[in-house]
Amino acid sequence: MKKFLLLLMASLLSSSAFAQDASLAEQAKAEGRATFYANITAIEPIMEAFSAATGVKGEYTRISTAKFVATVLTEFEAGKLMADVVQAPLPVLEMLRERGVLADYSSPAAAGYEEWTRKQGGIQLFGIEYVGLIYNKELVQAADVPKRYEDLADPKWKDKIVMANPASHATTISWLIGLKENVFASEDEWRDFLKGLAANNPMFVASFGPTPAPVESGEKLIAISMPKYIITKAPAPLDWARVEQPLLGTPRAIAITSKAPHPNAARLFVDYWLSSEAMTMLARDVGEYVLHPGIFPPIEDMDTARVLPIRELTDEEIQKWGEEFQKIFKVS
Amino acid sequence: MFKTRSVLTYSLILVVGFLTICPVAMLFFGSFSKGLGAFGVFTLDKYVRAYTDPALARIIVNTAIFVFGSASVATFLALFLAYLNNRTDIPGKFMFKVISIIPMMIPHVLFSVSWVLLLNPTNGLLNLIFKQIPLLQDFSLNIYSLWGMILVEGLLDLPIAYLIIAPAMASFDVALEESSRVSGASTWRTLFRVTLPVLRPAILAAFILGIVRSLASFAVPSVIGMPGRVQVLATHIYQMISTGFAPDYGKAAAVGMSVLATSVTLIFLYRYLTSESEKFVTISSRGYRPTVVELKKARYPLFAVVALLSVILIVLPVLVLFYTSLVPYSMVPSARAFSMISWKHWADVLSDPVSLLSLKNSVFLGVVGASLGVSLSLLVAYVIVKVRTKAAGILDSLSFLSFSFPGIVIGVGFMWFFVRTPLYATIWALLIGYIATYLPYGIRPLASAFVQVHSHLEESSQVCGAGTFTTLRRIVIPLLVPGLVSGWILMATMFVRELTLSVVLSRPGTEVLAVQILRFAEDGLWGRLSALGIIMIFISTTLVILATLVGARFKPVEGGG
Repeated sequence: MKKFLLLLMASLLSSSAFAQDASLAEQAKAEGRATFYANITAIEPIMEAFSAATGVKGEYTRISTAKFVATVLTEFEAGKLMADVVQAPLPVLEMLRERGVLADYSSPAAAGYEEWTRKQGGIQLFGIEYVGLIYNKELVQAADVPKRYEDLADPKWKDKIVMANPASHATTISWLIGLKENVFASEDEWRDFLKGLAANNPMFVASFGPTPAPVESGEKLIAISMPKYIITKAPAPLDWARVEQPLLGTPRAIAITSKAPHPNAARLFVDYWLSSEAMTMLARDVGEYVLHPGIFPPIEDMDTARVLPIRELTDEEIQKWGEEFQKIFKVS
Repeated sequence: MFKTRSVLTYSLILVVGFLTICPVAMLFFGSFSKGLGAFGVFTLDKYVRAYTDPALARIIVNTAIFVFGSASVATFLALFLAYLNNRTDIPGKFMFKVISIIPMMIPHVLFSVSWVLLLNPTNGLLNLIFKQIPLLQDFSLNIYSLWGMILVEGLLDLPIAYLIIAPAMASFDVALEESSRVSGASTWRTLFRVTLPVLRPAILAAFILGIVRSLASFAVPSVIGMPGRVQVLATHIYQMISTGFAPDYGKAAAVGMSVLATSVTLIFLYRYLTSESEKFVTISSRGYRPTVVELKKARYPLFAVVALLSVILIVLPVLVLFYTSLVPYSMVPSARAFSMISWKHWADVLSDPVSLLSLKNSVFLGVVGASLGVSLSLLVAYVIVKVRTKAAGILDSLSFLSFSFPGIVIGVGFMWFFVRTPLYATIWALLIGYIATYLPYGIRPLASAFVQVHSHLEESSQVCGAGTFTTLRRIVIPLLVPGLVSGWILMATMFVRELTLSVVLSRPGTEVLAVQILRFAEDGLWGRLSALGIIMIFISTTLVILATLVGARFKPVEGGG
């Protein structure tokens, strides 16, 4: 019985694993709410858990990456930025930092994260928007599943691939450049791969969102997409190709704003967001690859996969390569 | 009387100008400014870079084929359906309203996705069926092509065309046709020499509105054009703002300016072509009662054509939507798929507080927005048609300004504008933005109805001592009920599914249906998206039925809505 009580206490304690600074929590509560601008799937349960744990209302405004900088800067310059906390791909937050939108805050909750996740000026990385090869496990034989990225250039995949438009989709462009810099031995090999992929006539869609549906339905067999769909689209027959090379993705970053209407609530929110509690929910329910040590999405073999961040690319680089890919892939 | 009219004209120019010029002006400044905002150091660089793109020529050719094609499809179908419905004894008239209005209620992304499920070359349902039919085994249709885009966009623009043409058809002066027949002309000759020419303002209005709308449309070019690698201006602009993390909306606006110029030119052309409006007056003070053409032997074959049309155009996509909302993920229909059917997506949507809030907000915006919008449109249409001074022409063009700007960009214009006002991030910003952008949806059907009300009626009223407003209220408005109903329906259903402005302007507390649907789309959650889409169709249907019933109370004659 005693043992049971101890266990119960331990589990109660660990369920609120996120440590609160009492005075910060008080001040945050007085401020009432924290407004979060981000573009990330299905995090409403985390917002609710935050409200339940702290008594501060968490408000989520979803702003697509294409409108993120425009919206935040427009509001900021008019003195009407409503966001206390912002989340976006790292290059976006870097841009906002340069314009004075962000405040320097290093959260105690990030203490356990690896050193490279702490960026200049209060930007903290917490995840990687990882890209992988997602295939229909009912229609693709185990032996046919790509073992290396180069396998996608095999003519057997002709007319069977779907991917986001490599001329315009920033994350896909970054991913292709990431392959050049992290995976392929030489630029020539990489260009051969691109030519082979282009020759397989992949179907282009606007972003990652529409990539899994054609694979689920069998219209296409394999997608350059995100492994997280295996979780969010369950029970769809999706699986990821365990390529021997690393998986790549753009780092996801979070920071608080310099003129946050609710500065204490903002800090409390970031502390909560980086806690093992919130990161576990993000990995478990949304399939995100998080940088909190020891937490992995419940996708088979993902805990042993190598997932690398792509270096930051400037918009000029992305546009230059977008035009290059437009030629290679003959997007008219 | 002149004084009242010019006061009315100028105050409307002020109101409409304020509504539509502000966001466009912001974009105009942005397109000439360095940096990413609306104001900065003057530069022509954005225009130079935007218009020296070597791919532009081909994109413009594609765009021209796409917009003319889809506007023709929409106008032709609308004319066909409106004629059969209003002027003939074809059975099953209720179907016409359904056919012509449903595409208005379906979110365009969903409608496009349904067609992909039906006609994609790999496993599109209709293509799979063709494979089973002897002689058709090798026949397959590829939706990912320019003709696929034209078909789907044409269907999506059909309601606009129908709701403009039908009221004109309903208030047609039958004496004209009778004279033609008495003089010995056949039914066909009468149709082509009398009926269609008299309807020219409505037909042109529908066609031009179709062009303007498909120029600004994004769903079809993105869902169908992009996989088919057919690039049009809308996807070109999208590419501009999505490549990179700090998109330059000023440069996108620079391209948008030529779309705007095209639209404004078309509107002037339209005014020129219909300038002798006396020709088109059909309700004068004489007896007014459209008669019915007997179809005789053609009755059932034509009915079959309409029935087939409605199955292919409406029933199939809506069924696909319903099916998608029941299966756990995207599956081709099969015994296994049917065994996995459940209401899970529906339960998810109905238990999601944000979805429920967005439902409430969208209904509010639909009902209140359309009512305010139609009231404003009524006055504007009156001035455009009946006053016809230079100032009235300006008012006409003003009403099209934000409407003809490509959707992805105009939202940012509104944001740049509203952030300078206390309305920012409130539901009123959405309401005003909606009315400002979709004013032509209210004005066009009303204007084409006004064109046909002869000024003798008003003059008689004024001779009897009634003022301008009394004449409007007692004489003109009752004759305009079909146009009012059409305008209200177009606006209400548009507002219920509005996306382009909402996605930029909605904030916590002011979420709306389409934004919620877009979130599901971005996450690839087609099941929930379809469930919410059907709820949206249901709301719009309810609004359409209510509007039609209210319209019918005022006027026993079969209307256009």
